[in-house]
Amino acid sequence: MLRKYSNHRTQSDNVKLGALTAFSAGMVNVASVTVFFAFTSNITGYYAVLAQEISKGNWYQGAVVLLWVTLFFLGSFLSNFVIIQGKGRWSQYISHAIPVILELLSILFVGIYLEFFYQNSLKETEILVGALLFAMGLQNGLTASISNSVVKTTHLTGLTTDLAILVSMFSKRENRHNKALVDKFHLLLSIMMSYVAGGLFGGIGYLYLQNGVFYLTCIILLIIALYDFYKIGRIRRIFEKRKKGVVMQIS
Amino acid sequence: MNRDVLVKLNYLLLAILLIGASLVIKHAENPERLIQGEWIEKEWRLEKDNATVVEESQMQSELKREILRNVEELHLGIWKFEEDGSLKSASSTQNDAIEWFIKGRGHVLELRRDGKTIESFQIQQISKTKLVLHLNFDLQVKGIIEIVLERKEQSDQYAKKV
Repeated sequence: MLRKYSNHRTQSDNVKLGALTAFSAGMVNVASVTVFFAFTSNITGYYAVLAQEISKGNWYQGAVVLLWVTLFFLGSFLSNFVIIQGKGRWSQYISHAIPVILELLSILFVGIYLEFFYQNSLKETEILVGALLFAMGLQNGLTASISNSVVKTTHLTGLTTDLAILVSMFSKRENRHNKALVDKFHLLLSIMMSYVAGGLFGGIGYLYLQNGVFYLTCIILLIIALYDFYKIGRIRRIFEKRKKGVVMQIS
Repeated sequence: MNRDVLVKLNYLLLAILLIGASLVIKHAENPERLIQGEWIEKEWRLEKDNATVVEESQMQSELKREILRNVEELHLGIWKFEEDGSLKSASSTQNDAIEWFIKGRGHVLELRRDGKTIESFQIQQISKTKLVLHLNFDLQVKGIIEIVLERKEQSDQYAKKV
């Protein structure tokens, strides 16, 4: 899921990564709206809100939104920064896994803080939403970066636009048999449905698990981070078994 | 301009945005502080867009009755937002503990009783003298009940003037 970069990635890699990250983003977004009355993957809306609050003279609210947007930007920036600076320094898998781990830590921080320290003050709300936006920025930056902008899991505006374009393209018979277009359609549809499923899961999950929803998101991110690690280990073990078999045959 | 300089300017702009936003948040009027004190209800208004006068009068009374029935308990008269997070009413018979919280970016007022949310309002306008709340039906849609409150000291001063 995380090992390969850009054109070396297969459709399967992109679908797995897109679906799982979109699912986690949907969960976080709905949980955040339920707890904090603030979206964590709606940057388009926040630009509009920023303009609205400044025009109304609400400097405090405008500054809060500006801070949130900047933190999302910072998350995305950091994701790609780690990936490009990691080239040659450490393995591709490690440099792709670091943003996932950072995202996991941000969401874990929010979950733990909510569980043990949250006093429902406005300042705490702003900081926690900021942490979640930073995490979403990390996620969106990572998926867009390693998939060459094919996978963007919190950018549903663009996704819906692209889906609509593809559906209209399928009105022509020759496009229906174009593998690249069909693969893209499947990928975008998977991301959209995973996001909605994640949102449903997050909403229902919050009723029963409360702040445990954030821990559940961390588990999903851990699966994303460790999936390739497990795969690499499995391939290594198969390779060593075969090597032993060959050596025994020779002897 | 040199590309290297432009890149550095980018990073500087990012730092300015982060620090600037943080400073404004620290020093600007915080809605949580601004709301504390006593507020008098001036008006409960039903907002209905795109309705003709005839439609409005026919719908108005029924709609008003239905909606206001659900928020009967929130007709507090005087809203006293205490520093400890409790909301008291000086004129209402009910004096049970309602807690208030400001949520989101400072644009949502949430009221709770015994840990359960009883209502949430969108803070449409908040200043030293005026508080306008919209009853929150959906975060994407404008609420249709508008509650206008004025700070108690301001109202008393106006009454004295008159």
